[in-house]
Amino acid sequence: MSRTFSVLSANAREAAESLRRARLRTVLGLVGVMIGISSVIAMVSLGEIAREQARKQFEALGTDIVVVRKAVGSGAKAIDLPNALQVAAAVPSITEAAPRISGRGTFRFAGRKVGGGAVQGVTRSFASVNRLTLQEGRFISDLDADRYWCVVGAGVAEAMRGAGADRLAGSLLEVDEVLFTVVGVLDGKEESYALPVQVNANKSIFVPITTAQRIAPDPGVEVIIARSGAGVHYEAAVADIRSYFRRRAPDLGLDIVTAKELVARMEAQMGIFTLLLGAVGSISLIVGGIGIMNIMLVSVAERRAEIAIRRALGARQRDIRSQFLIESVILTIIGGMLGIALGLAATWTICRFTDWDFLISGLSVASGLGTAAAVGLFFGFQPAHQASRLDPIAGLQGK
Amino acid sequence: MLKLTGIRRSYRIGPVTTEILRGVDLEVHAGDLMSIMGPSGSGKTTLMNIVGLLDRPTSGACILDGRDVSGLRDDELSALRNRHIGFVFQSFHLLPQLTALENVCLPLVYRGAGRPEMRRHAQAILERVGMAERTGHRPDQLSGGQKQRVAIARALVGEPALLLADEPTGALDADTAGEVMALLRQLNAERGITILIITHDPSVAGQCARQTRIRDGRLFEPKAAAADGA
Ligand SMILES: Nc1ncnc2c1ncn2[C@@H]1O[C@H](COP(=O)(O)OP(=O)(O)OP(=O)(O)O)[C@@H](O)[C@H]1O
Ligand SMILES: [Mg+2]
Repeated sequence: MSRTFSVLSANAREAAESLRRARLRTVLGLVGVMIGISSVIAMVSLGEIAREQARKQFEALGTDIVVVRKAVGSGAKAIDLPNALQVAAAVPSITEAAPRISGRGTFRFAGRKVGGGAVQGVTRSFASVNRLTLQEGRFISDLDADRYWCVVGAGVAEAMRGAGADRLAGSLLEVDEVLFTVVGVLDGKEESYALPVQVNANKSIFVPITTAQRIAPDPGVEVIIARSGAGVHYEAAVADIRSYFRRRAPDLGLDIVTAKELVARMEAQMGIFTLLLGAVGSISLIVGGIGIMNIMLVSVAERRAEIAIRRALGARQRDIRSQFLIESVILTIIGGMLGIALGLAATWTICRFTDWDFLISGLSVASGLGTAAAVGLFFGFQPAHQASRLDPIAGLQGK
Repeated sequence: MLKLTGIRRSYRIGPVTTEILRGVDLEVHAGDLMSIMGPSGSGKTTLMNIVGLLDRPTSGACILDGRDVSGLRDDELSALRNRHIGFVFQSFHLLPQLTALENVCLPLVYRGAGRPEMRRHAQAILERVGMAERTGHRPDQLSGGQKQRVAIARALVGEPALLLADEPTGALDADTAGEVMALLRQLNAERGITILIITHDPSVAGQCARQTRIRDGRLFEPKAAAADGA
């Protein structure tokens, strides 16, 4: 057996024993490292979970989505419906565009109130752009212009059934004293909050956009939700839309947001967030490390006689150094393991409250352990070095 | 096996330099049982530290097994201590957290022995010093004489050529001191271990074949074997 291995394994055994004996001091020393590691773990995991969560939302929605609005303070009154309707045809980088004119109303069925919400004037493409699917009937079509026909969201449909409707398609829905014939019923749809446009399909009804133009208080196009073609960079799509509208409506200012841009912006924010949280964790680690260093210095001072005896029996300086280094690394790794448990517990709790999907990030656990060991090595080095340089004669004489 | 020539050791405290050893000459032969006596503060421990390679003389040569140790690096001195020298101290200097057996294993740890081999050796040597029954005891569970036996076992486990004992009986009562001295003499006789004993006690010195005294920084060896008391 090699001498180094023999000495190291003996050192490890004795270090564990020595830490077990100095119980209170050990625990106090662990607290700092534990908190440091746990904050790093919680922070890194939360960052990863939040990013994953946002990514899932965008994935359901598609990252090719582009939202066009009239800019606040723009000279023009609104986006013109004819211009809006031609976006998909006229702008090559846009494959689909769904303009919307919005109003609100109270819905009644058979004289009973069945809810109230958005009355969204849309075209055929609105369903595909927003991934809306039907459980019954059909969606608004381009041949429905000016008709008082509507497609109801799942929530509204539920309420109508509750009010006694057995077949929804063909039944009449009264919207602020105007009668609409139901032509379709949407499936339930979870709202995505990642984008700056709300569809809120479940509690809304959808009517032909030209109909909405007549009954809505503001007949201008409120928003165009579009999708860019495959492989189109979001900046190109934005530029194309702008130049299209510049030709048609020169004094119209536009506010265009793309999902890809949001993803990029959010990822940058997450990066900063993670970095910031990491910094906070590092500060607690430094504080914890200094605590460890202090404990080790006390331990070295208390064990001067022991060090001297070991030196007299043939321990080399590096044997003494490794003994104390192993001790501080064991200390910080134990602290690190407790910190990982604590950090994951905190992450899990936060996930429960925010309804996020908890996941254990292997990277954060591994880096937590690695960091703990590194803290032990770094802050243990000076005390261990000091121990190795003690004068054995002074130690033996108890000076 | 050990030859000291012209060993000087001085300490400087502030501007004052005090020379404790002023040219010690000593030749120790293999198998010697030798005592060093001298008044307190005369430099006995200082000399032992030099012989034990824990300290370096200010000048003079220390030759161990034909090898001048003055130019050796710290690691080499550690290795030499580990292989060739066993220490026994007045206050035992056992590690309180380790059992008797583990204490005895220590020199072998630093030699890089395997664990089973280490324990076997330690067990055997503890049996030899009459401590077979108490290998699992910690030092605070042992009497003074028992502690010193364990310490002697620890000094011997690595089979050193030279055993240095600084007042090995200083903390023991007369009976126990007698037992420890008897053990050291047996080890010297049976195994031919060279033993250097520092003592205040003339009766201890009287049991040694060679007796020396340290005075005024020099070592004297009265030709007559009979000691005339301190
Ligand atoms: N590190 C040191 N610095 C300065 N002086 C020292 C040092 N170590 C020892 N001395 C001095 O050297 C002298 C001899 O000390 P040493 O310990 O060798 O005496 P000793 O003969 O072993 O005495 P005792 O019988 O009391 O153990 C003493 O006067 C002591 O004060
Ligand atoms: Mg002394």
